Amino acid sequence: MTTDNSGDVRLCGISKTYGSFTAVHPLDLTVPQGSFFALLGASGCGKTTTLRMIAGLEEPTTGTVLLGDQEVTHLPPYKRPVNTVFQSYALFPHLDVFENVAFGLRRRGIKSVRKQVEEMLELVQLGEQARKKPHQLSGGQQQRVAVARALINHPKVLLLDEPLGALDLKLRRQMQLELKRIQTEVGITFVHVTHDQEEAMTMADTVAVMNAGRVEQLGSPTDLYENPRTTFVANFLGTSNLIEAEIDSAAGGDIVLKAGGGKLVLPRARCSAPATTGGKVLVGVRPEKISLTHADEAGGIPEGRNRITGRIVDSSFIGVSTQYVVDSPVCPRFEVYAQNIDRDPRLVPGAEVVLHWNPAHTFGLDAAQDIDAGVGTAEEEGA
Amino acid sequence: MTTLTEAPPPLAPAAPGRRPPRRRGRLVPYWLLLPGILWLLLFFALPMVYQASTSVQTGSLEQGYKVTWHFAAYGDALSAYWPQFLRSVVYAAVATLLCLLLGYPLAYLIAFRAGRWRNLVMIMVIAPFFTTFLIRTLAWKTILADDGPVVHTLTSLHVLDLTDWLGWTAGDRVLATPLAVVCGLTYNFLPFMILPLYTSLERIDGRLHEAAGDLYAKPFTTFRKVTFPLSMPGVVSGTLLTFIPAAGDYVNAELLGSTDTRMVGNVIQAQFLRVLDYPTAAALSFILMAAILLMVTFYIRKSGTEDLV
Repeated sequence: MTTDNSGDVRLCGISKTYGSFTAVHPLDLTVPQGSFFALLGASGCGKTTTLRMIAGLEEPTTGTVLLGDQEVTHLPPYKRPVNTVFQSYALFPHLDVFENVAFGLRRRGIKSVRKQVEEMLELVQLGEQARKKPHQLSGGQQQRVAVARALINHPKVLLLDEPLGALDLKLRRQMQLELKRIQTEVGITFVHVTHDQEEAMTMADTVAVMNAGRVEQLGSPTDLYENPRTTFVANFLGTSNLIEAEIDSAAGGDIVLKAGGGKLVLPRARCSAPATTGGKVLVGVRPEKISLTHADEAGGIPEGRNRITGRIVDSSFIGVSTQYVVDSPVCPRFEVYAQNIDRDPRLVPGAEVVLHWNPAHTFGLDAAQDIDAGVGTAEEEGA
Repeated sequence: MTTLTEAPPPLAPAAPGRRPPRRRGRLVPYWLLLPGILWLLLFFALPMVYQASTSVQTGSLEQGYKVTWHFAAYGDALSAYWPQFLRSVVYAAVATLLCLLLGYPLAYLIAFRAGRWRNLVMIMVIAPFFTTFLIRTLAWKTILADDGPVVHTLTSLHVLDLTDWLGWTAGDRVLATPLAVVCGLTYNFLPFMILPLYTSLERIDGRLHEAAGDLYAKPFTTFRKVTFPLSMPGVVSGTLLTFIPAAGDYVNAELLGSTDTRMVGNVIQAQFLRVLDYPTAAALSFILMAAILLMVTFYIRKSGTEDLV
């Protein structure tokens, strides 16, 4: 499999415009053979259009689509070695489960389909349901029929368009693991479109975050989460606390910044903005990296940590952790997630606190961006 | 209509321990059904009973008719007029087939391809209804006139030679031939075919076409394996809505046909209004009804769409 690249998807400068609206700006993307690739973004960001261009359901305005070494830009869908799991499945209502799954095989003139279909139905654990019509199945079962119907054709690439969007939360988690298992088992390239950042992060090897028809950032889930390079990615994937700061000195491996009278340290390697003394950057830190100490015990905080003072304005207990909102001079709504190991009873709204964290967990972004980009989009979508 | 026929609450006694629903509330569906039921009783059931009794009467206009259970009227009517019966079925079947062949592409076009022209095309389909059936059929008389452009064109293309040979036309005439009657039937009932076809085609989820294409079906295969099967409810109701009235029609045969193209509707009309032989007319009506009912039942069974109609 290491030398086989027939399952590569390569998009070279593809774009799509509808009249004066640009759904996808010229885009270059390579999805390597056998990987689980997610296109993540809010609705209308161009992720589905990109997927449909790979499937052949949409013709790109510019650019080319390659599968392995074969150019397929202008091939109709029925001539492409890809299959799609559609949003809300698009199962054929007049055919039973067996015939739905056999559809692709029959169209390619394969006569004896029984064994293959039965095996595939076993793989998705639907052997018992073969003679039922789609409307007699539950949402999760329909979803598995849709996957089986696509996978049975052994496509070079499987495209999944929000396949779990119609399922409830618990089933969605279960199907995520299921899909991941199937992908590992069959080893073909999966391209998965979703607006659910958690889904993208749990399932995919590589995630491309899309916004307004462009790829904002591409990388492994951990890389995207730990080292976001734009405010959109920082806010869309999880939560980030962003602080406007001025560069005080940029000598050696660390950048020293001034923010609200205090000093913060940022590793140079984690700053995606140009670091010139006197320039501005946005400093970010994830809520779970921060420790919270009551102001009376600030003396006990080890040296060398970034600190910010503030006052708790809100706290909510959610079992494994407590989420605090802290009002500080540098950021009015600083979010902190604290593990419930030793709860300090003084940490209630109104308490004066010191926030501190390891400078290595700080990241720096270009200050020329909208600090709130991507805030709320994920929540609205997920509702 | 659906609100009237939707299941009334079950009449079974309420589950033990639960208070039985209030009486008045339970009767509401039946009150709502009442006007419809009265209407049907008065204007459908009653005349049917009256006709049924007429069909087994004997007598004459002068001495009056009496119910004598003269069932032989059915046999006599059938043996006297079987050619007209057969003709009715054949003409109606051919017209229905033509309606399907003409109507399906049009309905498909309106449902999937018309885009912003959809409403305009729909209006064009319905527009003929703005003039009466009679005027429209008379217009066909002009269109198919012996010295009209249609006959001229068909003659010069030698199409009429072929249809003459097939027995559809006679002596380089179109008017007063089976062809004219079938054309009239097709034209008059076409909208009844197109509308149900359009309704069921329009309901088909466009993503099913994409899914079929994605699963290696070429466009025509997609049509054969997905679109057409899913439009079966429309095909069945369209053919029924065309075939049933066409089989009983007499206007087209009257205006566009000749004595050789008389359909059973013409016979019934003549027996009722000209010969004034009411028992024979009533017996013919019942035979027609029974025949259509039989054929429709068989057809619905065959097409396997009982749950779809």
